[in-house]
Amino acid sequence: MSQKEYPDIPIKLTVNGKEHVVVVKPYERLIDVLRYKLGYTSVKEGCGRGECGACLVIMDGKLVPSCLVLAIRANGSNITTLEGIAPEGKLHAIQKALIDAHAVQCGYCFPGFIIAIKYLLDKNPEPSEEDIKNMLEGNICRCGSYPMFLEAVKLAIKYVREGKIYFDIKEVKG
Amino acid sequence: MEIATARFNIYTPRDLNDALKYLDKHGDKAIPLAGGTDVLVLARTDIIRPELFLDLWPLRKELSYVRREDGYVWIGALTTIDELYNSFLSKDKRYLGFYDMYWRFATPYLRTIATVGGNIGTGHPLSDLAILLLTLDAEVKLSSISGDRWVKLENLYLGKRKLDRRSNELITEVRFKETTENSSTALLKLDRRRGHAMGYIVTAAYMALDGDTISNIRIAFDSTGKPYPGRSYRTEEFLRGKRFSEEVIRESYRVLESEMRRISDYRAPAEYRIDLSKVLMKRCLYLIKSRIMG
Amino acid sequence: MSKPDYVHIVEEVFERFKDKPLVYVGKKSVRWDAIAKVTGKALFTADYLKFYRNVVWVYSVRTKYAHAWIKKIDAGAAAKVPGVLRVITGYDIPGVNDVGYVIPDQPLLATKKVRYIGDTVALIVAEDPYIAREAADKVYVEYEPLPVYTDPLEIVDLMTLKEKPHTRIHEERDSDIVAHFKIRTGDVEKALKEADVVVENKYRTPMQEHAYMEPEAALAIPEHDGGITVIASTQCPFDARRAIARVLGLPQNMVRVIAPFMGGGFGGKEDVANEIGSKAALAAYFTGRPAIAIHTREESIIGHSKRHPMVAWYRHAAKRDGTLLAVEANVILDTGGYASLGPFVAWRATVHSTGPYRVRNARIDTIAVYTNTVYSGAFRGFGNPQIHFAVERQMDILAEELGMDPVELRLKNILRPGDRTVHGQLLTEEHGVGLEGVIKKAVELSNWYEKRRKYASQSGTIRKGIGIALGWHGNSIGVEGADYSSATIIINRDGSITYRTGLTDMGQGSLWGLVLIAAEILGVPPSYFRIELPDTASTPDSGPTVASRSTVMGGNATLVAAYKLRKRLNEVASKLLGCSPDDIVIEAPRVYCRSDPEKEVTWNDIVEQAFWLGVPLQEFGYYRAPKAEWDEETGQGAPYITYTFGAIISEVSVDLETGQVKVDRAVTAYDIGRVINPVGAEFHAIGGYIQGMGYALMEEIVHDKNGYVLTNNLSTYYVPIIKDSPEIIPVFVEALYKQGPLGAKGLGEPSIVAIAPSIVNAVSHATRIQFTEIPLTPHRVYLELKKRGIIRI
Repeated sequence: MSQKEYPDIPIKLTVNGKEHVVVVKPYERLIDVLRYKLGYTSVKEGCGRGECGACLVIMDGKLVPSCLVLAIRANGSNITTLEGIAPEGKLHAIQKALIDAHAVQCGYCFPGFIIAIKYLLDKNPEPSEEDIKNMLEGNICRCGSYPMFLEAVKLAIKYVREGKIYFDIKEVKG
Repeated sequence: MEIATARFNIYTPRDLNDALKYLDKHGDKAIPLAGGTDVLVLARTDIIRPELFLDLWPLRKELSYVRREDGYVWIGALTTIDELYNSFLSKDKRYLGFYDMYWRFATPYLRTIATVGGNIGTGHPLSDLAILLLTLDAEVKLSSISGDRWVKLENLYLGKRKLDRRSNELITEVRFKETTENSSTALLKLDRRRGHAMGYIVTAAYMALDGDTISNIRIAFDSTGKPYPGRSYRTEEFLRGKRFSEEVIRESYRVLESEMRRISDYRAPAEYRIDLSKVLMKRCLYLIKSRIMG
Repeated sequence: MSKPDYVHIVEEVFERFKDKPLVYVGKKSVRWDAIAKVTGKALFTADYLKFYRNVVWVYSVRTKYAHAWIKKIDAGAAAKVPGVLRVITGYDIPGVNDVGYVIPDQPLLATKKVRYIGDTVALIVAEDPYIAREAADKVYVEYEPLPVYTDPLEIVDLMTLKEKPHTRIHEERDSDIVAHFKIRTGDVEKALKEADVVVENKYRTPMQEHAYMEPEAALAIPEHDGGITVIASTQCPFDARRAIARVLGLPQNMVRVIAPFMGGGFGGKEDVANEIGSKAALAAYFTGRPAIAIHTREESIIGHSKRHPMVAWYRHAAKRDGTLLAVEANVILDTGGYASLGPFVAWRATVHSTGPYRVRNARIDTIAVYTNTVYSGAFRGFGNPQIHFAVERQMDILAEELGMDPVELRLKNILRPGDRTVHGQLLTEEHGVGLEGVIKKAVELSNWYEKRRKYASQSGTIRKGIGIALGWHGNSIGVEGADYSSATIIINRDGSITYRTGLTDMGQGSLWGLVLIAAEILGVPPSYFRIELPDTASTPDSGPTVASRSTVMGGNATLVAAYKLRKRLNEVASKLLGCSPDDIVIEAPRVYCRSDPEKEVTWNDIVEQAFWLGVPLQEFGYYRAPKAEWDEETGQGAPYITYTFGAIISEVSVDLETGQVKVDRAVTAYDIGRVINPVGAEFHAIGGYIQGMGYALMEEIVHDKNGYVLTNNLSTYYVPIIKDSPEIIPVFVEALYKQGPLGAKGLGEPSIVAIAPSIVNAVSHATRIQFTEIPLTPHRVYLELKKRGIIRI
């Protein structure tokens, strides 16, 4: 095999408000940079082909599958992962709602679902049930929490409407 | 079977001109990379072994737009499916086919990065956007450093995942002539589950009604016998000029059957695909009629 | 012979709590890991990679053929690729080259033969996954291809169950039939002669893929003393340890297996950890560096066990009034290239093969055979969903023949307390036999009779239907092995409690139920507990997390430990308060005398006092299930300690023009004895329904004639999405099981067993077509409708 040259490319990205500089190869994926180079392991790999929704992040305001985004494309971007949707010690209304709706089973699909739900509610704070199902169409949950997700999103809408965006974790810990 | 991504290099151009210059030199090896939702998946499963990509993302500055001018709608090749949906197209009664297509296209998170040029560029039969554009008689602009040429979308396909695109050319724009007020479009697909699916078949249609009469009609499918999207010309001819009715549509089924060849594979037998093509065509036409009527 | 103390304890606790209002058990509460999972802090196996430096990547080079002799493996060129540290083949294995779960028929790395497309011939160990992948191309293997068999009917005949001439897949055994179980009871011939109605049909069910969202992974870390620690996504950490130690040729105490949170298991992670764990461990062993192996989704699909496809022939004989006289069946389970848990699956299928009915005459033969498809093993239900599809379809077809309502036919034949099963096992109130109760509940909540009437005459292109199916599922492992569990409860000096278990969490949350049991018995809130996930270095061997046994077996072990601790705490408290130990009430933080509530101290007081007195506050709870009995020739005995019962009613809409089926609504009624953790129970009822619906309508792993898997990703293997999810109404009927913790039974698997037949029964009701094969994809429904002239488009 011929010795191929793959350059080291420095990229700068802001994740959850924090600036990072990483050196990546041209073929590296954003998901691997986030998970292993930067430690944001909430981002999960379920299929590597953009078919399951487990790896979703919000990049420059767009919902994207990080397993199909090349790291170099994330240069200069603003990324939100699950770790960044609430300040430390607090839960976002969506997270609180998921707990209240007893939706948590294995939890592997949760980061993808929560990011998609956040993306939806940021664009439309009063979505209909059809809007919710449309948004979550590509998120697979094999444990079967779909009915609970629906209930949780409806609860989250209610909390946000009542002005309760963040909850103290200590309040929630029984 | 061996699977995983291979290593590759990428050239990131400054602008379209730079990209075309690069493609002129390295087009035989460099694969254009738009959203990556098709080509990165092919690379992962070893269907292709890319050594080199041409990064098209910087071209979004120049090639992401949806405009209307001179009686045409002009769409930049690097427009994402999301941006297409957010344009005037899905609010225009005539172009509600784009609304249908959007809500059936892959998954919500792929629509933000999949592009118009990419979807056509895959050359795949189940390219929802391409199927819809065929019903609008769309044309595709191919650009190289020597200049541009326009090709009708229906003539762009040469074979399985094979387009009439020279290795130094890029798809840069799509256009279609604006249709008349008394017309509309629709797209439907059906699969084993109620979303997140390629579809056993995909069908799209454009129809103009003059009162009750079908004054113009164009119907496209993911395949009519070739491994790429195509129109059902004889069925269109049969329906053109006739009175819109359930009977007439059902009569057209045998015409459709005469000009459509379907494959049987592990997903479905040909007989089902043909029958489903008829049913979804009928449903498309009824959907269009209700849109025209308001 | 007197009963062991743990049996006494379970019975005593059952009696004491039978009619007492419960404080924690049976109430909805937030599971211990909810916050960790909604914040993304919960770590799954591959996540641990971020803590390690200097890690090597392991890539499996898999076979090009589904069935072939290996003539030569030449890894020389691959080993020279820059960045490759080592190429491992079967010849390098220090211990035993085998990872078979039940029988030793499965080499970890193939050297002589490959038998299915996922077989691994070499491992590349490299600095990064890309290099590993590219070097794989440089491993040259010379194969001599053999005929590929992808249909079990190429191996055996359905009616005689005799092996057909073919190129033997497992030449080291004397047959490609890997297991054969039977039931012989009564006089079937006589029953057939006396029958008024006989119904016989062939049934097929597909290969189902677990498709858990977390693909398998293993991270192996070499220890200072030559030992290996392996973090792996496994349901059976102790079995994995045994397998890995065997492959490495190390004593078991030199191998440590840690089972962190799993992103779903459903049985799929029972034996694959033996394989992927051993692969990572070998790499760590040879390089002295941490080693990671992560399956891509495609590798996961071809590289772990599946649900056995089934081909079955069934014959039911009945009297005009609906009384079942006899059941006969030939059941073939396709176990693929290797046995995995196939023999156990075949056994469970046989035990349940006649459905939850009184059947006095039966002739059942179940066999598991090898083919060259992806091997099948454990998958939620374990043979039961397959045969329930056949049995419950048979019951509906019989009802149609007899002109009886399907519910009425079933009520006529179901097992009730005092009845004997087809194995001759006497079921009593003590087992908890709530089958009639769940049927009645389901019928009531679904408006069964009215809908059956209403849907009998419909017009239009959308037809509705309603169908019922019953299920029964023996709890725990029966005769598969020694059935025991254990748990450790440690009350720390500050009053906080550590709970240790070898049972794993794959999302089902049953560990929380175990904590609720301990909480109830000790009298302390669940929040006092911290659960430590399985780690062979510190948590006890609780047996595998399989067979719907966690609540019953883990629960009893927990109960025993909690009971003993409570007894000692009562003694300590009684001395402090001056009333008798039986008089002590613990409602932590309060501790007081029932007869004189003024006499009160705190939980911390009695814990501290116990320390001063030297009273041990850690306890190891052990429980062993009553021995199961099974006669190999007749299938008579007492195969399971008890059974969970269920009744599922599904309502569907069928689009005649396209064949698409939608489930609109479902009622799932289960008798799981005492409901310990209602949230967990609902997870199972709802999640199991959705997974069973996928099995009924859309899921199938398809191989081509060369044994390649065509459906090797999540866009060609369809699992239900949110838009497919119907309204599901879970309801529970409590028929307490006296030997269960506070009367509880299991639900992990029962929750999928009867789903598919209930849906297909509904579709058959809607279309008047008796379907006998799943998945009922649109094209299958439509083409049948077209063939019979029910629809003309």
